[in-house]
Amino acid sequence: MRSRSALCCALLFLLPGLLGSLARAQGQIRVLRATVEGDQVLVSFRLDGGIDRSLLERIDTGLPTQIVYELELARDRKRWYDQGLERNTLEITAMYDAVARETNLHFRLGGELIESKTVRDRPALLDALRKIERVPVFRTRGLTPGVRYLVLARAILGSRMVLAIIPTDVRTDWAESNKFRPPAVP
Amino acid sequence: MSLRDRLYEQGKNTRTLLFGLVGLLFIFTAIFYLLQRDREMPAYLVTNRVLLFVLWYVNVVLILAILFVLLRDLFKLFLERRHRILGSKLKTKLVATYIGLSLFPVLTLFVIATELLQGSIDRWFATPVRPVLEQGNAVAQALIDRIQGSCASAARRALADLGTVDLSRDAERERLAERLRSMLTENDLDFLAVYEGTDFVQGVVDSRSGISDLPEPGRDLLGEAATEGRAVRTVEPPGGRGRLILAAVSGLPAADPDASDAGTVVAPAKPEATKKDPLAPEPAEPKPRIVVAGSLLDPVLAERTERLIEAFQTYRQLEVQKEDLRASHLLIFLMVTLLILLASTWTGLYLARRVTVPILALAEGTRRISDGDLDHRVEVPADDELGVLVASFNRMTEELQRSNRALQTTNERLAEERALVAAVLENVAAGIVSIDGAGRIFTCNGAALQMLHQSEDEVVGRTAAEAWSDPERSKLAALLASLPEPQAGRDRRSAREVQMVVGGDWKTFDVKVTPIRDAAGSRGRVLVLEDLTELIQAQQLAAWNEAARRVAHEIKNPLTPIRLGAERLLEKHRRGDLQIGPAIEEAADIIVREVENLQGMVDEFSRYARMPRPRPAQLDLAKLIDETCHLYRDVKVGVPVVCETGGEPLPAVWLDGEQIRRALINLIDNGVEATDPPGQVTVSVEVTEGHLEIRVADTGRGIPAAAKDKLFLPYFSTKGRGTGMGLAIVHRIVTDHHGTLRVEDNRPTGSVFTIELPLG
Repeated sequence: MRSRSALCCALLFLLPGLLGSLARAQGQIRVLRATVEGDQVLVSFRLDGGIDRSLLERIDTGLPTQIVYELELARDRKRWYDQGLERNTLEITAMYDAVARETNLHFRLGGELIESKTVRDRPALLDALRKIERVPVFRTRGLTPGVRYLVLARAILGSRMVLAIIPTDVRTDWAESNKFRPPAVP
Repeated sequence: MSLRDRLYEQGKNTRTLLFGLVGLLFIFTAIFYLLQRDREMPAYLVTNRVLLFVLWYVNVVLILAILFVLLRDLFKLFLERRHRILGSKLKTKLVATYIGLSLFPVLTLFVIATELLQGSIDRWFATPVRPVLEQGNAVAQALIDRIQGSCASAARRALADLGTVDLSRDAERERLAERLRSMLTENDLDFLAVYEGTDFVQGVVDSRSGISDLPEPGRDLLGEAATEGRAVRTVEPPGGRGRLILAAVSGLPAADPDASDAGTVVAPAKPEATKKDPLAPEPAEPKPRIVVAGSLLDPVLAERTERLIEAFQTYRQLEVQKEDLRASHLLIFLMVTLLILLASTWTGLYLARRVTVPILALAEGTRRISDGDLDHRVEVPADDELGVLVASFNRMTEELQRSNRALQTTNERLAEERALVAAVLENVAAGIVSIDGAGRIFTCNGAALQMLHQSEDEVVGRTAAEAWSDPERSKLAALLASLPEPQAGRDRRSAREVQMVVGGDWKTFDVKVTPIRDAAGSRGRVLVLEDLTELIQAQQLAAWNEAARRVAHEIKNPLTPIRLGAERLLEKHRRGDLQIGPAIEEAADIIVREVENLQGMVDEFSRYARMPRPRPAQLDLAKLIDETCHLYRDVKVGVPVVCETGGEPLPAVWLDGEQIRRALINLIDNGVEATDPPGQVTVSVEVTEGHLEIRVADTGRGIPAAAKDKLFLPYFSTKGRGTGMGLAIVHRIVTDHHGTLRVEDNRPTGSVFTIELPLG
């Protein structure tokens, strides 16, 4: 009975993975940089591609459109017990106001609103969505000084229907940052 | 499981089913309600990513549940069929029927409804709504653009007019309000204000517009105007209704107001690539002068404009979400279909189980009862027709048990009776052998075994041919084989004398064969053996005594005249009678005649003793009888000899014709002689199974009962004349032909002699 339930659960969890491979995004995260300042790990990166016409069209219609950046802190030369050392998400929600002709952007880190801004043209919008500068995603507290770490990031660019009824996330591949060592705590 | 437990289990199952149905009803109601509300919900909620994922996972779970239920039951059925468990075939058929009945219509409905849904969505977007909305949006946007453009022009003109005004001077500042008001009226504006950087300098509002206070354009508008030279916004006016469209233009004031031309404005420098905060104070550079002009869009127009824009936006949103919407509806529909499918499949399987359980219990009960367990009762909690069937089955079992007990009692009584019969059979002097319908000997009493010098193992269970295969005993087997198979309504006893050498002794058995028959038909035969050896020996001895007495008597009769003749001759001779010649002649005649009589008697006896063995040949018996009867047609007046051989043709028989003729002559001769006119002698023939019976019946005096036993002995006669060898010869001929001769009384008078000969 337990093994049957486990099999069913495994199938349930494998299914999104299988379908996800059908919905791979064209974009890629580049220039992923992680720097340590104080007790914070600041992350900067740029999303190349991925924001295609359909996504922009969706934004233009005024629908709340979300781009989620998944960020993982990992040990360099990751071992099996290093799974999920620390995770965080940066969500950018864009909502176009057709009357005011402006797009409101909300930035949420780990679910908390950290910034809101309004852009009025397409380049500014794309910049806001693609370029992330020095966002304090992780804290160095709890990390072992001297050990090399890195940050992994990928983007979820909405969802897509496979075979008309199966919703799947459109994701980019994982990108790796430079390695860094957290400073020793004085 | 006891009946109480089963009743409890069934009650629990019924409650589960009831709760399940109520739950399903609730789910369907909720889904129906959601679908109704779906029309009122914003599209982005219906097509929400989370909702889609939830729907999809619910569907996946339902599919897995259906597959699990189906596969589990199918696997169980497969195993049951593989192990040939009773009722598995019936269960398979029921399950297949229920699943087929639920799968086919539901899936058909799903496919058709899906197609209809897809078509409806496509037709919905195919209607010419988009151009109308697009044009409306364009008009609204053009209106706003135009107002923004006129505001920007007015602001630019105002900026040019104020280009030479030195706002650092108090006097100029005081005159500025007047100038702005004048410009407001000239340009038909509702709001006009001047800023230096982000610092408010002066502003005026058209008091008739309903704007209660000076609007705040916002730092971002001013900043954009400072950096870009121009910026527009649509804001909500303070205290007023409608929309306030603002346009801000910026420029640097002329360095020397006196030297500059009126209306000259220096455009602010474009921002550098290195981003600098345009609003950051830089003492070395003058702050940009920004004029903000505003025009109020009246509430009705503003609302209509916004509605036009929003309607187009909503339509575009729907267009973008078309696929998600389609997927969302499909998923909801699929979920409903799967729920129905799950419910119907589950119900089908449950009903199949409910139907098969009593049937399986009945089948199991039947099996156990056929194995002899009559105490078994089927306990199935069913109150429908199956319950009636189960109750009838139990009643039938009880009845069967009662009958079985009665049968056992009867069997015990029969066994006792059988033992008694067996004891009787064992103790009777006659040998009794019973043969079943298949021709096998199934009982043989001790007397029979003793007579035949055999053990029970050599006889019982074998056919007659197997048991009596030796040349002597095979006569019994041959006798049985010669008898026809017993047939309904034509049973008769057959009796034969069989002679054989058993145990080195010559034995004569009287063998009687009687068919066993009951209502069902033939059950075989009973062979009764009676050892006649001693009786026959005694009879023969008596017969020979009688024969000797008669021979002595017959010999003595002629001896007397011979002696008397001889004594008379001797006396005459002693007396010296001279007339002795005639006496000698007379005595010689008497002696010769009596010696001839003696000679004839001896010849007859000798013929009887030397009678040849019969030489059978194919014979037309009817013709032979007719010819014989013809000889006696006119022998005695008033006593006709009637021959009854007509009717069915007689089969060809193998007999010694001369001997049979002789026997018939003897019998007819006796009959004619014994019958006084008017009378009749009748010769008739009848063919029965395997036998031929020739009857010679007369209407004469009849034979006394005491004479019947000695009738066939040599030299016995009731006529008082003749040799008394006639019937003895007839008996000998018939016996030599393996037949029997018997005599019975003819009704009302006379006698019947019956010759019974085997056919074939």
